[in-house]
Amino acid sequence: MDQTVIRLDLPAEHKHLNVIGACLNAILERVDQVTDKEMLAYNLELALHETCTNIVEHAYSEQQGRIRVAMSVICNPQRQLIVDLHDTGSSFNPTEADDPDLDGAQVHGYGLFLMRQLLDEVVYRSSDTSNHWRLVKNI
Amino acid sequence: MEIKSHEAGDIIVMELEGRFDAYSAPKANEWLEEVMTNRKPPNVIVNLENVVFVDSTALATLVQAMKRCRQLDGDLRLSNLKQPVRMIFELTRLDRAFEIFNLEEEAVGAFTA
Repeated sequence: MDQTVIRLDLPAEHKHLNVIGACLNAILERVDQVTDKEMLAYNLELALHETCTNIVEHAYSEQQGRIRVAMSVICNPQRQLIVDLHDTGSSFNPTEADDPDLDGAQVHGYGLFLMRQLLDEVVYRSSDTSNHWRLVKNI
Repeated sequence: MEIKSHEAGDIIVMELEGRFDAYSAPKANEWLEEVMTNRKPPNVIVNLENVVFVDSTALATLVQAMKRCRQLDGDLRLSNLKQPVRMIFELTRLDRAFEIFNLEEEAVGAFTA
């Protein structure tokens, strides 16, 4: 399988989340034949950033912790960027998060909405010991 | 993120540079709060020309300030958005809520028209 996994292990604090974009850009640099790579890189960084922000603000709202990130590009046969994020904070119920009312300017609710809009697949699972987000983008 | 400002008549222009995200948004919010407290009415242009990244917390910060400015008979308008940043405003339909201008000069002109 054509799979090379890049791993990050970040303190769950807002100030460290800019590392993700640099890593993502480095991965995408090696991917050929991508339409509008600059826009794709921005959108993927935003989707990952929103996921990490959710972990910082919800999973670790009352405790410190870490976010483990694994990124890979696979061709099986569809070429996809797959990102797995694990945390050991409080669990989260994405089904309880309503999309924002797009007919009016909202102050909250755009994070998960952007993740769903910018990615092809967003899956969240929680166990007794950890929480897992899987993000998939066809590229 | 760096914050600079200059004035154009009764309008204050907030120039941001760098990443406008959950880490830097409190600094922008503090700056905007001070402007909204001290200027009557608060007419603000946020020039995003040198902003390379905007997240949902930045959007929330701008929405909150825009609503507050309008409550105080002013407004908060945006200018010089890079294409990926503009796309996020379009995706969330916030391009309909804000008055967005290609150039800062156009935003100033619209305030004074």
